[in-house]
Amino acid sequence: MSHGYQAVLWNKHKRTYDLAVAGGIVAYIGTFIGVSMATWSGPNILSTEILLIQAFGSCAFIMLTIILSIGPLARLNSIFNPLLYNRRHFGVMFFIVALAHVIIATFWYHGFGIVNPLVSILSMNSEYDRIAQFPFESLGFVALLILFVMAATSHDFWLANLKPGVWKAMHMFVYVAYGLLVLHVVLGALQAERSSLYTWLVIASAVWLTVLHVLTGARETSKDHHGAVAARDGGHWMAVAALDDIPNDRARIVPMKDGERIAVFKYDGKVSAVSNVCAHQNGPLGEGKIVDGCITCPWHGYQYNPDNGQSPPPFTEKIPTYKVKIEGGHVFVDPTPLPPGTPVAPAIIGGNA
Amino acid sequence: MVSFAELIVSALGLYAGIGIIFALLFVTFGVARVDPAAKGAPWGFRLIILPGTVALWPLMLMKWIGGGRRA
Ligand code: FES
Repeated sequence: MSHGYQAVLWNKHKRTYDLAVAGGIVAYIGTFIGVSMATWSGPNILSTEILLIQAFGSCAFIMLTIILSIGPLARLNSIFNPLLYNRRHFGVMFFIVALAHVIIATFWYHGFGIVNPLVSILSMNSEYDRIAQFPFESLGFVALLILFVMAATSHDFWLANLKPGVWKAMHMFVYVAYGLLVLHVVLGALQAERSSLYTWLVIASAVWLTVLHVLTGARETSKDHHGAVAARDGGHWMAVAALDDIPNDRARIVPMKDGERIAVFKYDGKVSAVSNVCAHQNGPLGEGKIVDGCITCPWHGYQYNPDNGQSPPPFTEKIPTYKVKIEGGHVFVDPTPLPPGTPVAPAIIGGNA
Repeated sequence: MVSFAELIVSALGLYAGIGIIFALLFVTFGVARVDPAAKGAPWGFRLIILPGTVALWPLMLMKWIGGGRRA
């Protein structure tokens, strides 16, 4: 959070997460090489370099597919939230794996001549108009540049110093990179006679991601259109949920007509309402939990006091709060947002509200 | 003859070269001016924002000149 900068923010959970991802990478590469050696033996044997290129390349592609799936999966079902928690480190590790693939491939195929290996990649063949001969390496190279900028700007410093809109827009380029990588693999596999397995796997992943994103989008829109969509009607109380429908230490998310969402939390015999939008990267606070008395964002763990929308000291983030009351077992919210960090007395369950 | 590929690679090289020199100056002197929260930040942090500064150096140069984020 915005209290001095550290190189990397680690805690026990993040360490476990990172170790699990790193373990996954090692296990995958080991298995890939083992299985390939067993399959392609005799006259078909592949050199170690080619095996490594394929192992790192496919590992990177799978990692990117997982990374892009985590967001929508977590929106569809909260059991995926733990994956979201440290997605950023996952992203950086993915970049390192992709870079290893590129370095090995560049030196293996282009590193032994007098030409600069990069020039060699871009000019090795110039059959840009023939699909079967298309220089797929250039596609991978452009994707790598995009991914480099993204990995290099993932620290919070960049989020704070590039406007959030710019940062977000920049990071949307990951989809462009993904498209380039799909082509890179498909066209590359087309030129290596071995098997079409890669092509199919890559196409299947692209279809999976598209369906997942469309599905999540459709669900979000319909969630907002059905049920209790409330209009802002100028400072009037609005019924948002039966008290019993909100689980303890969790929230009910209430969509407003104008697209805003309010998170109504029940905790400790009290009810408080805050904006659903985390001050860090707009994470969905209402999908988080109360941990140690604080609303905890499911994305990267930023925390806020439920009764004033302020991050506990020394942190300084603030989110808008809303007035709440309880009447006849129902929770009511005043839909006019109060300025970020405004203290609001929580509604006491069973009290005279 | 200079091929198109050589041209691109040289341009990229030039951009990155200037970027590296700028980035070293930026993380040492500029970063605290641009973002007060970075005042006295550890070297690990400065190292970690170095590659991003190389990539986005024109932008950070503008911020440095302009005095940066109002805290
Ligand atoms: S903590 Fe990052 S979005 Fe909430």
